[in-house]
Amino acid sequence: MLNEEEHMSEALTRIFENVVLTEEKSLQAGYFKDLSIAEMHTLTAIGPYEARTMTNTAEDLGITTGTLTVAIDRLVKKGYVHRERDKRDKRIVRISLTHNGKLACRMNSKFHRVLAKHILAGYDEKDRKHLLDLVDEVDRYVEQQLKRYDSSENVRATARQVATDTNKEKK
Amino acid sequence: MADSDNLRTKVKEDVIRIMAETLEISPEEITSDLAFNTDLPFDSLQLYEFVIDVEETYNIRLPDELLDQVKTVDDMIDVVMKLMKKA
Repeated sequence: MLNEEEHMSEALTRIFENVVLTEEKSLQAGYFKDLSIAEMHTLTAIGPYEARTMTNTAEDLGITTGTLTVAIDRLVKKGYVHRERDKRDKRIVRISLTHNGKLACRMNSKFHRVLAKHILAGYDEKDRKHLLDLVDEVDRYVEQQLKRYDSSENVRATARQVATDTNKEKK
Repeated sequence: MADSDNLRTKVKEDVIRIMAETLEISPEEITSDLAFNTDLPFDSLQLYEFVIDVEETYNIRLPDELLDQVKTVDDMIDVVMKLMKKA
């Protein structure tokens, strides 16, 4: 029999993998076969309403603007994203979803809502609240861990930058 | 009051026209008492096509949480009217 830590660890990993796998399969079986999961997440990060900057969207996705540019090139070609330069400041590139992009984004969001609805349906009101409180706690803890690594990465990046600048000055 | 009535008539015409175009049926077949779940043959993709067209026509947002409360064509007209007043 698994001990509690193993049980929790395996269940968390399995839930994460299976949600992504189910999402991927539902995409392949549905109306948006030409989209990968990563592309769908890019559409979700842009969102169905106001245009966003490349910089903000890349930050939300945790990727560089260079990586995002490659992804956006593909999504523009596929007809899911509209890209234009800011009228006042030409350095800023704004991206927004086309009609099809909005449709894909909303269908994906519905997938997640339906999944959540079915999970919650098996519980009465009191247990649903308890479950959501526990899930929130797990969510907060994992997010804290992520921030810890993010900030240590930032510290390392700053240290590397300072070292590079110092070396340049010495030369 | 008359302005509000005129606006509601216009919104009703638009909502029914967009709905008819999405479902590829005649607008005459759609009355405001019809229910989304039982009377109108929307699949989920068509429903979002309709919703996005309404959002773009009136520059409003119709998130899923709000759509859950919309049961009939009349409800949809009410929600659009309310959101237009807020905008």
